[in-house]
Amino acid sequence: MTEPFLSIRNLRKTFGSFVAVHDVTIDIPKGEFLTFLGPSGSGKSTTLYAIAGFQDPTSGDVLLEGRSLLSVPSHKRNIGMVFQRYTLFQHLTVAENVAFPLRVRRRPDAEVNRKVAEMLSLVRLEGFGGRYPGALSGGQQQRVALARALAYDPPILLMDEPLSALDKKLREEIQAEIRRIHRETGVTILYVTHDQDEALHLSDRIALFRDGRIAQIGTGEDLYLRPACEFVASFIGNSNFLPAEHLQTTDGAATIRLADGSIVSGVKATQEFGQGQKTRLMVRPEAFRLRPGPATAGLAVEFIDAAFFGERRRVVARTSAGQEIDVRPPSDMANDHDETAQQSGQVFFDPAAAFLFPALQTT
Amino acid sequence: MSGNLPHRPPVLRKPVVRTRRGLGGALPALIIVSLFFVVPVVALLLRSVTEPTPGLQNYAILFGDGTYARVFFNTFLVASIVTAVTVMVAFPVAWTLAIMPPALGSIVFGIIILSMWTNLLTRTYAWMVLLQRTGVINRTLMDIGLISEPLPLINNLTGVTIGMVYIMLPFMILPLVGTLRAIDPMTLRAAALCGASPLDAFRRILLPLSLPGIAAGGLMVFVMSLGYFVTPTLLGGTSNMMLAGMIAQMIQSLLNWGLGSAAAFILLVVTMALYALQLRLVGTQRVTGGV
Amino acid sequence: MLLDYDRLGWLRGALLAFTGLVAAFLLLPVVFIVLLSFGSSRWLAFPPPGWTLKWYEELFAEPAWLEAALTSARIATMATVLAVVIGLMASFALVRGKFRGRDAVRGLLLTPMVLPVVVFAIAIYAFFLRIGLGGTTAGFVIAHTVLALPFAIIPISAALEGFDKSIEDAAIVCGASPFEAKLRVTLPSIKIGIFSAAIFAFLASWDEVVVAIFMASPTLQTLPVKIWGSLRQDLSPVIAAASSLLVLLTLSLMIVTALIRRKLST
Repeated sequence: MTEPFLSIRNLRKTFGSFVAVHDVTIDIPKGEFLTFLGPSGSGKSTTLYAIAGFQDPTSGDVLLEGRSLLSVPSHKRNIGMVFQRYTLFQHLTVAENVAFPLRVRRRPDAEVNRKVAEMLSLVRLEGFGGRYPGALSGGQQQRVALARALAYDPPILLMDEPLSALDKKLREEIQAEIRRIHRETGVTILYVTHDQDEALHLSDRIALFRDGRIAQIGTGEDLYLRPACEFVASFIGNSNFLPAEHLQTTDGAATIRLADGSIVSGVKATQEFGQGQKTRLMVRPEAFRLRPGPATAGLAVEFIDAAFFGERRRVVARTSAGQEIDVRPPSDMANDHDETAQQSGQVFFDPAAAFLFPALQTT
Repeated sequence: MSGNLPHRPPVLRKPVVRTRRGLGGALPALIIVSLFFVVPVVALLLRSVTEPTPGLQNYAILFGDGTYARVFFNTFLVASIVTAVTVMVAFPVAWTLAIMPPALGSIVFGIIILSMWTNLLTRTYAWMVLLQRTGVINRTLMDIGLISEPLPLINNLTGVTIGMVYIMLPFMILPLVGTLRAIDPMTLRAAALCGASPLDAFRRILLPLSLPGIAAGGLMVFVMSLGYFVTPTLLGGTSNMMLAGMIAQMIQSLLNWGLGSAAAFILLVVTMALYALQLRLVGTQRVTGGV
Repeated sequence: MLLDYDRLGWLRGALLAFTGLVAAFLLLPVVFIVLLSFGSSRWLAFPPPGWTLKWYEELFAEPAWLEAALTSARIATMATVLAVVIGLMASFALVRGKFRGRDAVRGLLLTPMVLPVVVFAIAIYAFFLRIGLGGTTAGFVIAHTVLALPFAIIPISAALEGFDKSIEDAAIVCGASPFEAKLRVTLPSIKIGIFSAAIFAFLASWDEVVVAIFMASPTLQTLPVKIWGSLRQDLSPVIAAASSLLVLLTLSLMIVTALIRRKLST
């Protein structure tokens, strides 16, 4: 078995009595685009800062190709980084900013000039070399920051919410740039964000952080289709949680009783449950249908509000137990009858697309 | 964007509806400053070209005589040395104050304010006693065997420099703290990850970014030092008299109003020119800081 | 990393040590003078052979010292009141006014702070000699008011610029007269600026030496002039005693300032 390229081992970081990172272990292969996703204060930035060398971990280790980075000062780690705020050197031109890492490495002028030109063309800012950062837009500044971080061919690029200061349109534009640059350079990228769309769009794998621990690590599909816990299910995508009583489980398929008394068989059990245990059934809004299918379960509801969004409808419905649920069935081009026009009716879901989680211990 | 200072764009003014609106409140201040500041100063400057006889002979004497040239040279020399030493001492202190924990920092700020607010003559008196031949500093140095003869620390350039740096330090430290606090620490982290050693990060990033503050503060210290009277008079010697001391002497002891007011005019012109330069520096700093 | 206190390594120790040294340098004369004032040596030997209060006795035995202190206090108080009132009016004009040449007016009113004091001192000395104000209390107060004015205008203008005028307008809409609105709404909001102005103006007059040296007469001299005169004769420990009292005054002023600022800002 070969060593993983970058390895974070049992990382722990405390600030006084506050534990920012409890215990994080991740192995990252070369060339991967890994995103640290999570709400603010979940420890994702702290983990990134430990890799960058801005903070010493309380315990644990960070290994690059098997060698510990902890005793290496930041300026000798040879890691690239793009920051949340614009950290361009305001007193230097764009070209001088990109050249900075090469100048401090005492590279010859010819190489510096060639590399600066190459980097500016990589981020599509040819002709901007002579300008000062203050004269650029936010998106252009972050692209210069990207060029600066890649100018010395670092094996790892860290990105700490680099798009959070930009507006939506620019964000999407630069996301595409980042994907292209990752493809073209093959650099290993560790990307921190709290935006799940950004994470799903960009990453090979996502590590979802919660309270200083990794709740689940996997591809976007893993997290969306096979959430390991209720937190993952609620953080990635949208979800409805219906209170349910567990009756029995065979081969991972559980039978439950919902609050309105109806019995549903064949939902996915995410763990072992006892008979009669209180559970919660997660159904994604987009898993609901307005018409029954071959093996669907039905749920009697009252329709409160409905809007048509082209590709799908967005319906607010209330179950007979009084719980409001979010229903987003895809539009059916073959049948334009609108069931939500009635006051009440039924919504349907495939039990195989519903997940059973334990009821929350604390609220 | 930068580097084209000589061609500053015309200042855009808001359209003025009534050109005297709100002027009234400034009138008492304007009257007292005009009557008791502008008129006396202009009257004084007129004496420089009317006494003892009309003409520019006072200026001819000041610029033609080696004695006065030495005073001018000495004034600039002292101001330059004081400014250089003040900047070099103030920068590390301001840097520390900008980042140190506030609880610890407030003690240092308290000491700076105490020193600044203590009576000027009190402070100068203390240095006179400390620096004299038989003073504490000479005694201590002799006791620990560093020197065998007392060092001449007072009535010379050394004494003036120590006393003036002491007075000027707060004026340099306090604004510099502001300049350094305005620099995002993330910028320095970025420099480190780019591979800059602490020395490189200091030379290429921290120092250039604080240069506007250093220049503005340094110029202020230089201007204040040029016209300083009390400390050079008490701690300096006769051989290194400064311009302000010479002006006072011409008026007080020699009663030579013509020559004294001509020297005052020269001091005024130099001071005002440097002050205008400083305003410009601070102004451009605001412009670049506002992006 | 150079601006991260926790990540400076050995440099942090070096910076802290240097700052400590500079703080000691700034504190040295102040502490030294206080210790000296209690030392028994007339020749200012240090450490003193013994401790005594006799310099304070000599200080209070000579009425000229107390008289000079009272003169200084009287002049500084009057100059402070004048500078703050005139400065307050001027600040309203400079911040709110829309008259032509506002920047020039501002520059002119701040010039006394920039011009070397010695130039102003001989100018006002000559001027007052001619109009008969030389060596009078009125002359002192006027000259010090001119010098203190910039120190009043700067903090008050800054406070006024930070004050949202629409609050004052709201008071007027509620029925207050413009004057009443300024008095009841605006002034309380900028009280910290006014207080700073008063402190700075007082110190500007109380500590002023150069103008005072030229203007003083045998019958009217301020405390700095009295100290200056004694200094030029000898380095008597009585000056140390007087200086220590001035340090005590500075300290109390700092404490009062800190307390009042805390109270005003809540």
